Amino acid sequence: MRVSRRPFLGLIAAASLSGCARIATSLTQNQRVHALLETPERLNLAILGAGQPLAREYAEADISPTFRHNGFDPPASEEYQRWLKDDWRGFALRIDGMVDQPASFDMPSLRNKFIRRSQITRHDCVEGWSVIGKWSGVLLADLLAVARLKPLAQFVVFHCMDDDGTGTLYYESLDIRQAIHPQTLLAYDLNDRPVPAQNGAPLRLKVPTQLGYKSAKHVRRIEVVASLGGSFGRGGYWEDQGYEWYAGI
Amino acid sequence: MPHMNENVKRVYRHPLPVRLTHWIAALALGVLAMSGMQIFNAHPALYASDASTFGHPVLSIGADETPDGQPVGYVEIGSLRVKTTGVLGYGPDGMGGFEARAFPSWATIPAYRALADGRRWHIFFAWVLVLCAVVYAAWAFALWPNRKDLRDLPKAIRTHLLPWRVPPTLALNPLQKFTYFGIVFIVAPIVVLSGLALSPAMDAHAHWLPALFGGRQFARIWHFAGMIALMAFFVVHLLMVAMTGLVNNLRSMITGWFRVKEVT
Repeated sequence: MRVSRRPFLGLIAAASLSGCARIATSLTQNQRVHALLETPERLNLAILGAGQPLAREYAEADISPTFRHNGFDPPASEEYQRWLKDDWRGFALRIDGMVDQPASFDMPSLRNKFIRRSQITRHDCVEGWSVIGKWSGVLLADLLAVARLKPLAQFVVFHCMDDDGTGTLYYESLDIRQAIHPQTLLAYDLNDRPVPAQNGAPLRLKVPTQLGYKSAKHVRRIEVVASLGGSFGRGGYWEDQGYEWYAGI
Repeated sequence: MPHMNENVKRVYRHPLPVRLTHWIAALALGVLAMSGMQIFNAHPALYASDASTFGHPVLSIGADETPDGQPVGYVEIGSLRVKTTGVLGYGPDGMGGFEARAFPSWATIPAYRALADGRRWHIFFAWVLVLCAVVYAAWAFALWPNRKDLRDLPKAIRTHLLPWRVPPTLALNPLQKFTYFGIVFIVAPIVVLSGLALSPAMDAHAHWLPALFGGRQFARIWHFAGMIALMAFFVVHLLMVAMTGLVNNLRSMITGWFRVKEVT
C-alpha cells in the first residue's frame, strides 16, 4: 500500500505545482498585477542605482577566450556591409537633440580626437552567463561634454543599426547620471582590435554596471532628450518587450 | 480516556507576526523557486568560476536527439549524463506542445517561456521575502539553540527515527530548532546574498560579495543549491507537519494555539 502511494504523491505535487504555475501565468497577463510586479524597479534604481560605484575591473589574464555574442545578427543592409568592408569610411556617429553643439564624428576623429579609455570588465547577460572583455573607446561623458547638454536634458537615447528581423531597430537609453558614469564607454575596440560585427561594430555602448542588453551594439546616433516615452516607448528595445529599464539587477 | 481534558494543555505558540511572516514567506519562496526556474531556463548551465566557461559547466540541463531524430532531455553533472526526457531538458512548453527547455512548464512562472516576466515575479517576491525577514528578525532569535538543545539533540534524533511517533511538545524540540535555525540563519541568507551577488550594480557597490561566493557564476551555483536545500526542507517540513498531528500543527500556525498532552 505504502509503495503504491508514492507515484500518487508525486502526481499530487506536480499537479499542485502546475496549478500554481497556471494561476501565476494568468495573473501575469492581468495589467494591474503586472504593474504591481514592476514596482520594485524604482526601488532597485533608488538603492542599487545610487551613486557612481565602479564596476570591478580585471587583469588581461582574466579575459574570456571568446566574447560570446547574443541578440540580433549584425545589420544586413548594403550600407552597413560596405562600411564594414571599407573600414568605416563614410560612416559617422551623430550626436543631437538637446545639446548646444550637435555634431557628427567619423571613426578616425573618435579614435584620435578623444582620450582613449580602456576597461577590462565583466559583461553579465540577462540570460545568466558572463564573459570578460577589454573594451576601449571614448568615454561617453567626454562626447557629451563636447556636445554640451542643454539644461533640460534628462536622458540619452542610443539609436542602433541592427533590427530584430521584422525591421524594428534596436535602441537603448540611459539617464544623464548613468551616461556620465566614469565607465560608460562608447567602445570601438574589443580586446585591442576593432569591435567585430557580431559584438557591435563599429561602436558599442558599454555599461558595465548594468546587464548586457543596456550595452547597445552598432550605435549610429546619440540623441539627448528631456524625457522618454512617446516615440521612445519604454526606453529600449527589450524594455518594450517587458524587461526592466533599470537593469542593475 | 476519561481525563483527557485534564492533561491536554493549550499553549499560544506562534504570535501573529510569526504566523503572518510564515505564510507570506511560504508564498514568496514558492514563487521565487518557480520564477527562478523560469530564469534558469534562459541559460541552463552552472559554472564554478567568475565568468562562464561555456564548454565546461558543472551542471547543465539540455536537449539532444537520438540517431533516429527522437528528442532527448538530459541533466549533465560533470561527465555524468542522466536521461530526463519529458521532465528536464525536453518537456511541456505550457502551450500544449513540447520543447527543449530545462524545467517543464508546470514548474515555472509563467508556464510558457518568458524571461522578462519571470524576472518581474522573482524580483518582486525577493523584496517581499526580504521585508518579511526584517519583520521576522525580532522573533527569529528564539530559534538560537542553547546548550540544552545541543545536549538533547541525540535523543531528539533517536525520537525522529520513527517520525510519526514524534510527540508534540511545549517548546520546539532540539531537532526542530536546529533545522529551523539552519534554514533561517544559514540557508536563507546564502540564497538571498548569492542572488544579490548576481546583480552587476551590487557588484559595483561591493566587489567582495560575488568574491565571497567564488565569483558571479559560482554565486549562481550557491543560489541554485540553496534553492534545492529549501525545497528539500519544504518536503520534510510538510511530511512532519502531516505526520505529527496535521490539524494541531496547522491550527498553531493559523490561530497560534497548539495542544500538548502533558506528560507527568
